[in-house]
Amino acid sequence: MASAAQSRIKSISYAKYGYMFIAPFFLVYCFFQIWPLIYTFILSFKGNQSNYDSFVGLDNYTTILFGQGMAAGAAATKAEFLQALGNTFVLWFGNFVPQILLSLLLAVWFTDAKVKLPGKGFFKVVMYMPNIITAASVAALYVNLFGDSEYYFVNSLLMNAGMADPIHFVTDPTISKIMVMFIQTWLWFGNTMIMLMSGIMGISPSLFEAADIDGANSTQQFFNITLPLLQPIMVYTLVTSMIGGLQMFDLPYLFHNGAQFSRSLETVAVYIYYNFNKGTVEQASYGYAGAASIIIFGITAILGSVTFYVNRDQDAAAKKKQRKLAEKQQKARAKQGGGLTI
Amino acid sequence: MSKLKRTLALLATLAVTSTAFVACGGKKEDSPAPTPAENNNSVADDANAGDAGDAGDAGDAGDAGDAGDAGDAGDAGDAGNDAPAAGGEISLPDTDDVLTIVCWTDTDLNNMFDIYTPVQASEVKYQQCGGNGTEASTQYANYLNSGDDVDLFVAEAGWILNYINDDSMSAPLEQLGISTADYADAYQYTVEIGTDNNGVLKAASWQAAAGGWAYNADLAEQYLGVTSEDDMQAKVSSWDNFKATAEELKTASDGAVTMTVSLGGLWQAFSTAQNAAWVDGTTINTGIASDFVAMAKEYVDGGYIDPSVKQWGTEWENYGKDGKTLGYFFSTWCLGEGAQLDTNCGTAGNWRLIQGPQEYFWGGSWLCVSPNCNTATEAANFIRTFTCNADTMEEYALYSGDFANNKVAMNKIISDGSNSNPSLGGQDQFAVLAGVAEGIKMSDSISKYDQNLKDTLLNTLFENISDDADTILQKFTDQALADNTDLNA
Amino acid sequence: MSMQQQYGAPKDNYHKQIMIKSTVILIVCILLTLVCLVPIYILIVNATHTHTELAENPSQLFFGGALGENMKILTNNIAEDAGKALRRVARQYSSVFNIGRGYLNSLIIAGCTTILTVFFSALTAYGLVVYDFKLNSAAYTFIIGVMMIPVQVSSAGFVRFMYSLNLINNFIPLIVPAIAAPAVIFFMHSSLKSTFPLSIVEAARIDGCSEFRTFISVAMPLMTPAMAVQAIFAFVQNWNNYYTQNMILKNDKMMTVPIMVSKVLQFDKDVNYGVNYLCIALSVVPIVVVYLALSKFIIAGVALGGVKE
Repeated sequence: MASAAQSRIKSISYAKYGYMFIAPFFLVYCFFQIWPLIYTFILSFKGNQSNYDSFVGLDNYTTILFGQGMAAGAAATKAEFLQALGNTFVLWFGNFVPQILLSLLLAVWFTDAKVKLPGKGFFKVVMYMPNIITAASVAALYVNLFGDSEYYFVNSLLMNAGMADPIHFVTDPTISKIMVMFIQTWLWFGNTMIMLMSGIMGISPSLFEAADIDGANSTQQFFNITLPLLQPIMVYTLVTSMIGGLQMFDLPYLFHNGAQFSRSLETVAVYIYYNFNKGTVEQASYGYAGAASIIIFGITAILGSVTFYVNRDQDAAAKKKQRKLAEKQQKARAKQGGGLTI
Repeated sequence: MSKLKRTLALLATLAVTSTAFVACGGKKEDSPAPTPAENNNSVADDANAGDAGDAGDAGDAGDAGDAGDAGDAGDAGDAGNDAPAAGGEISLPDTDDVLTIVCWTDTDLNNMFDIYTPVQASEVKYQQCGGNGTEASTQYANYLNSGDDVDLFVAEAGWILNYINDDSMSAPLEQLGISTADYADAYQYTVEIGTDNNGVLKAASWQAAAGGWAYNADLAEQYLGVTSEDDMQAKVSSWDNFKATAEELKTASDGAVTMTVSLGGLWQAFSTAQNAAWVDGTTINTGIASDFVAMAKEYVDGGYIDPSVKQWGTEWENYGKDGKTLGYFFSTWCLGEGAQLDTNCGTAGNWRLIQGPQEYFWGGSWLCVSPNCNTATEAANFIRTFTCNADTMEEYALYSGDFANNKVAMNKIISDGSNSNPSLGGQDQFAVLAGVAEGIKMSDSISKYDQNLKDTLLNTLFENISDDADTILQKFTDQALADNTDLNA
Repeated sequence: MSMQQQYGAPKDNYHKQIMIKSTVILIVCILLTLVCLVPIYILIVNATHTHTELAENPSQLFFGGALGENMKILTNNIAEDAGKALRRVARQYSSVFNIGRGYLNSLIIAGCTTILTVFFSALTAYGLVVYDFKLNSAAYTFIIGVMMIPVQVSSAGFVRFMYSLNLINNFIPLIVPAIAAPAVIFFMHSSLKSTFPLSIVEAARIDGCSEFRTFISVAMPLMTPAMAVQAIFAFVQNWNNYYTQNMILKNDKMMTVPIMVSKVLQFDKDVNYGVNYLCIALSVVPIVVVYLALSKFIIAGVALGGVKE
């Protein structure tokens, strides 16, 4: 009875504080995120370069998606955008698959109570370390280690070992893609591993014990217990990684030395950046950049709702649990008369 | 765990050491910087209070420079023309005492700073914006609008038009009291390029960037039996001869020595000699590109050039150092003390300079005035010193090895025989390049798209050299059109 | 007895299997450790070699003695008679890579954003958890909804907008947006929901504490662990944020460490390998050291599902 009265009082007299507390977030978010997003949307209907101020309708969209537009290079623009989209997918896929496999394997090993592994903490620390380093520095480091000629570390080592010609790690269209995949994996496998580990540790140990008693070996346990129960966290990792993949910028951009960029590593994020960051507004292509941004926004929205629906059930369960907890607390508080003892 | 501790200790030690260094070095670098900033206000006050004194200084400096100029020219008409400018009607302010020059390449500026004495500013410095011309061409606009102190900036032929035709980016030289009349002895193309669409002089160049072909005379003698510069010139006097010699060299050296190193150099020599515009109105002239693609394919397929070598890189340098190439296409600014030939490419062997298959020019940089220039007297003096004054330009040419943009100064050096380049065995590179500099005509053919188109072509070639010529050309056109929505093919 | 001899004791066999498995895992882990550490080791080793040494033998495996020399070039602190070429190299690098200024700028940006992100995210999450108001669940749904929007999709408009506000070359567009960090709010929200005793707010009210004061002096101390974890990730993320910084900061006084590294990467003439490595090392080593000092904390934070940029 008291709690009902209290909560009524609360909802009447304290609601305005709720609005006050969340107001800074919404003000700043609208100013620095929502309006720029709307502005990008507007820009996507405007022209490029010397034509930057006129309204062109859907021209930018038809140009980058179907190769039909006012510019003489419409078809080439479409080819470039689609190549960027393809590159984004290839680079993402090529780093996600090895990353998730490696992380999963390591996570299972690290959480296996039967395996005696000295220095587990040390390995975790070292494997997570690349994730903390500035991506720009990582790109610079790898460009300097894997340079194209025998005047760089890796090629020099290989050629001292008897290789005849240097490998073009940086400029070869295919090898440079593989390099970016490798570096991306290098950067992220530790992070994914720790996330998966916490997922595995959340699985009730009694399930494994029961399986042990039933005589299941570790492979069977992995496929019949670990993997199915990890599914939600795997889906979450997959989707966040896809969205992260759509944003892939620093590494592919800097791997080809910034300005002297090359189509073979041009991701969508690089495409957008390259088009709007070309000097003055009359040199830049804000229209194409805007249209590409909105398309990416659409893709992200779809991917985002997928995660939302996957995670919804869990959220609902968690909410129920929390509601129960809150009720319990309220009851306890009512008993204690205000919870002053805490 | 102990391993972790040890690693940690090692890294910590390293970090401490390096931060210690940073602290030492950083202070040295930083300490002068805050001083002008702190003094900024007081200097401004001084300037306001003692306006008369400053104006007097400006007049003096201008007078001195002009007197020298006129005297050397020995031309009454010139002196007459100079007279109004000598008044130094500088309309830009003089409120700062640090002259800041924004640039992306610093070879020439370093040489200038070595011989320049400020007349008024406490410090003359440059600020690098972008590590290469391509980056600079797109990032200058942002930099100039950044509110940072910019008095002068350096622009290159490939993209200067973007800046001098935009009054928010550049101010007329007249506002520093400098007019076209001051450039009577300059190579005229530099003045034409520095003049904007409305006929206003906006930029001045200190160099006539004539190019030549430097070759390793030892290798020439060994493989081609050539002993004199004239004989060598005869062997490369046209592109057909150049290629024939390349074939001869390849056979004689069994492929160990290539004719020249990068496609970038070949491109420069070939393209700028065509005197054809990249862009005609709004149409890309693909003629130059298609000729060059055909040529590049010939050289690569023939094994005369290694297409994977990047211009200016270590591999490019070492081709010369290790005796793997006969020669390089070099502009004048590659030939001075401490420049590419001297320190990087020509350290082994006996090098000589000749004109090569075609007269061409390479680069060429202009000093432009920022509308926000607030060190006007110093800026005017700097520009006069390196672009108008024959005496100081002679000194600059001798010091830097760069071909100065002043006919009087250059003719004097050549006739006096005062220049002898140790990295060219005592040869005078100016004598070789004088004729080339006279013949440069690029003012009609440049456009603001040049840098982008050139980069696109070379990048396309670099990545797709194994494709056939038509495919490469198509890829180039596609990329050029996708990048430049205002153009068509 | 005979069976035991034939097959070995079942326990021994089992142990042997585990031993083999553990050894294999150990070897794989050591290899991966090498893959993670060797690039960093080579980076530091190469920063201690001169350009000449590296040009002659690029695969240096042991420390050299040129760290001081490289540092002198990088800070343009070389002898006047060092020769034109070296002086040019020194001026080129020092003009772009001013490490003191870079650290300071990066520190200002990362420090301010961290404080803003953590404080305002805590405030927003607290507001959503503690107060019951009409738009509460709508606001929360909105925050979850926008959490995944990549920064790239609005950056074209963002840059044009900042140009029109004349905020290019200003730290404001890099710092103030940190107030709105949906992902951090999301995590703060879930941690508050599960651990925060609402009764304590009531108690504070009874004591006559104002709502804001309650948040500052009662709630924030209780939220410290969650805030500390988010602070670390916010700091790292903003320190490493090359994309936005590079869009907004064009002016040399404002350069941050990642931008300076990217500029060094762009040099096409007068490249000095030793100094190149030194620049990269200077940008990497401090982060690694701080990371190692805080590693336990950070890894526990990741395990909570903390970050995925």
